[in-house]
Amino acid sequence: MATPFVAGTRGAVLHRGLVDLLGEEQVLWQKHDLQLYEYDGAVDTATPDAVVIPRDTADVANLARFCSEHNVPLVPRGAGTGLSGGAIPVEGGVVVSFARMSRILELDAANLRAVVQPGLVNLHLSTAAAPHGLYFVPDPSSQKACTIGGNVAENSGGPHTLAYGVTTNHVTGLEIVLTDGTIVRLGGKAHESEGYDLIGLFVGSEGTLGLITEITVRLSPLPEDKRTVMAAFPTMDLASEAVSAIIASGLVPSAIELMDQLATVAVEASVGAGYPLDAGAILLAEVDGPRDGLDDHRARIEELCRANGATSIRVAETALERDRLWAGRKGAFAAMGRLAPDYYVQDGVIPRTRLPDVLRRIAEVGERYGVRIANVFHAGDGNLHPLILFDGSLGPDVLRQVKAAGVEILRACLDAGGSITGEHGVGMEKNCELPLQYGPDDLAAMLHVKRAFDPAGLANPAKIFPTPSRCREFSLHAARSV
Amino acid sequence: MQLDPSDARECAAALRSAAEARQTVRVRGGGTKADPDEALPGDAVLRTRGLSGVVDHVPADLTVTVRAGTLLRDVQAALAERGQFLPLDPPHGGATIGGVIAANSNGFGTLRYGAVRDLLIGTTTALTDGTLARAGGRVVKNVAGYDLNKLLVGSLGTLGVIVEATFKVLPLPATRGASVSSATDATSAFARAGAIVRTSLRPTALVVDHERGAWRLVVAAAGEQAVVDRTLREAGGDHVADPDRLLVPLRDLLAAAAEGAVVRATIPLAAQPPFAGGVSRLDGFERLVADAGTGIVHVHLRGDDATIAASTVAAIASARVLGGSARTERVAPSLRRHLAALRTEPPGHFLMRRLKDAFDPRGILEPERSLA
Repeated sequence: MATPFVAGTRGAVLHRGLVDLLGEEQVLWQKHDLQLYEYDGAVDTATPDAVVIPRDTADVANLARFCSEHNVPLVPRGAGTGLSGGAIPVEGGVVVSFARMSRILELDAANLRAVVQPGLVNLHLSTAAAPHGLYFVPDPSSQKACTIGGNVAENSGGPHTLAYGVTTNHVTGLEIVLTDGTIVRLGGKAHESEGYDLIGLFVGSEGTLGLITEITVRLSPLPEDKRTVMAAFPTMDLASEAVSAIIASGLVPSAIELMDQLATVAVEASVGAGYPLDAGAILLAEVDGPRDGLDDHRARIEELCRANGATSIRVAETALERDRLWAGRKGAFAAMGRLAPDYYVQDGVIPRTRLPDVLRRIAEVGERYGVRIANVFHAGDGNLHPLILFDGSLGPDVLRQVKAAGVEILRACLDAGGSITGEHGVGMEKNCELPLQYGPDDLAAMLHVKRAFDPAGLANPAKIFPTPSRCREFSLHAARSV
Repeated sequence: MQLDPSDARECAAALRSAAEARQTVRVRGGGTKADPDEALPGDAVLRTRGLSGVVDHVPADLTVTVRAGTLLRDVQAALAERGQFLPLDPPHGGATIGGVIAANSNGFGTLRYGAVRDLLIGTTTALTDGTLARAGGRVVKNVAGYDLNKLLVGSLGTLGVIVEATFKVLPLPATRGASVSSATDATSAFARAGAIVRTSLRPTALVVDHERGAWRLVVAAAGEQAVVDRTLREAGGDHVADPDRLLVPLRDLLAAAAEGAVVRATIPLAAQPPFAGGVSRLDGFERLVADAGTGIVHVHLRGDDATIAASTVAAIASARVLGGSARTERVAPSLRRHLAALRTEPPGHFLMRRLKDAFDPRGILEPERSLA
């Protein structure tokens, strides 16, 4: 069982205590300030009791010690682009914004490492590393805004992690602050460190084990060259078959993305990437690496697309054309605004071979609930992103319906042998559904980890694991008796 | 006492009974890493060989699920029938999958394919409370819940007994090749290796080997003919059609070194030349094999106990000073006690201790190996 949460010091006493501890500049507590921290990239909201913007690790450690003494939750926040409510203070408490800890501390090209603060924007790292011929592999669609600290917390992916791995494959060192204020430095610039792989446990723990104050990441050599292919298919089924054929051929593209017609129309209206509007599905594939043989790979992809019914194929001839093709994919979520005022994005993963039947089930869910669902996803690793379109101004019932449709989609992914989340995290969005994927014994083992790092339960409470108050059907207790 | 569970449930039940009786348990896979002197007379030995066989191989999904007692070489044979392979090449063909995970056993392919932690996507583990805990799954991308797979890699059987595992696999490469060339000194050998690391070529092995005053660079490549050719051209030296002819002896030499001690250091890439230069001047230095793309360096030392002890201490200290860590991989029994005293607690040790206490509250699993 997770430690039950007991509300501690709040209100004016908390604000005064934080200001005394860290200074006026570091603390926000007025209502209009707090409202800015009520939301992130997902659909749920909650108001913090205070926001702290620490300057350094010492501030974070002092804050944690104070919060531990006063039983106040700590909720870390990067850029607030997360898609599972990870930065939402469900139980109130202090939101810790890393906006002021956003520097590259060291770019160590000789060791292929960078030491960065958690608030550093993802793309800024690759931009800084480019003159050395290096880059940081994880490239979430939000990479112009999202932070490396957030990437580590969520174990973020992105289109190009198909060949080169997600965030956890690119972190070799962490400095963390536990909720009791203890500072722990794990790993460093070496490939691995001694003892249990605590870094591997911490990456993807969604702020529930402690706060990250410094990160050492692996930098990779920029690919010598790339080839980007866009193929249009009459139907999503044919496009899915093409993906399977590409994977089965032994090619390991750095990215294979798919987008359905609804998404294509929105993207074209908003970005103008040059995708054919009449296509049932758009496939975007990229191969990179040594120049030798790259054209051969590209040709094989084109051939496999044609063999599976592609009606038109375009190859990016210049970097500009490639960027334009990718702009459509990376801007796809934002483009949904053209279709509806709000969207709710799911992140289920399925074995790649199950794409056609799971996509059909998603379409059926849309019909049953009377909602439009656009699909934009990482087809190469089976990571779906169905976007359920809705109008939140029509009232809470609409959001409830949309969430219910979302749960059905997750069930379809699990029935196919998949996972409820591939890169967005469980957060407060899917914590009631985690027991659909893992049984009570599995969750009990995971909770050993929670208690080892955060015995007081103050690190981002009510995330990942079901809570009795919010998950009527799926509290841990209920799951255990099933 | 011998425990030979034939399925996962039996394994979990055996652990629970042992815990209730406060019976210490040694976990044995292929026994390739086991130290015969390590088990004490009162220990029960749990052998995982009964938990064997490929559960599911889906070639189109590039994943395979196997029981933990399956030999790695048997997994490779099963995958090869469908034109695929698990890109792990640790020493000891006789190692089991569970052993490879528990010992975090990697070969030279890490630079290209990743290590055990990068390829393992799902596990089922028998715990001392008699439960079976699953983590991850059978899909290649998954962030649901904590990543207990990572905790198990390298945990040496101290937290539970892995009974089943799922890995990412790859199509067998079309072509393989290797080259070997000599270098004048550590600096030039590592400089040439470093230049290759900074390209897109991603060789399947990049090894600096030093013995009896000679420095060699061994480079292996796999995949498309054009890329293999270019990699070997840029590496220079003499070409060898079968990379295993060069690599297997290097790998197994370290595993089989019965005499003296093998120190395994993991250091930042740029620290390799000074580290290699330093240890090669130590008394009793026999050979050094560096995986130059990851900074994992094995040093074989020989001589009398006093010499080995002193040089081991110096090598470990050097790795630490250079920003890495080191431990002894193989030690003669007469030296074990002496070198055990050198162990220091790694950073975050108190967290490891808490994890060990949570997963194995009675401390029955691999008591001597406990990291805490």
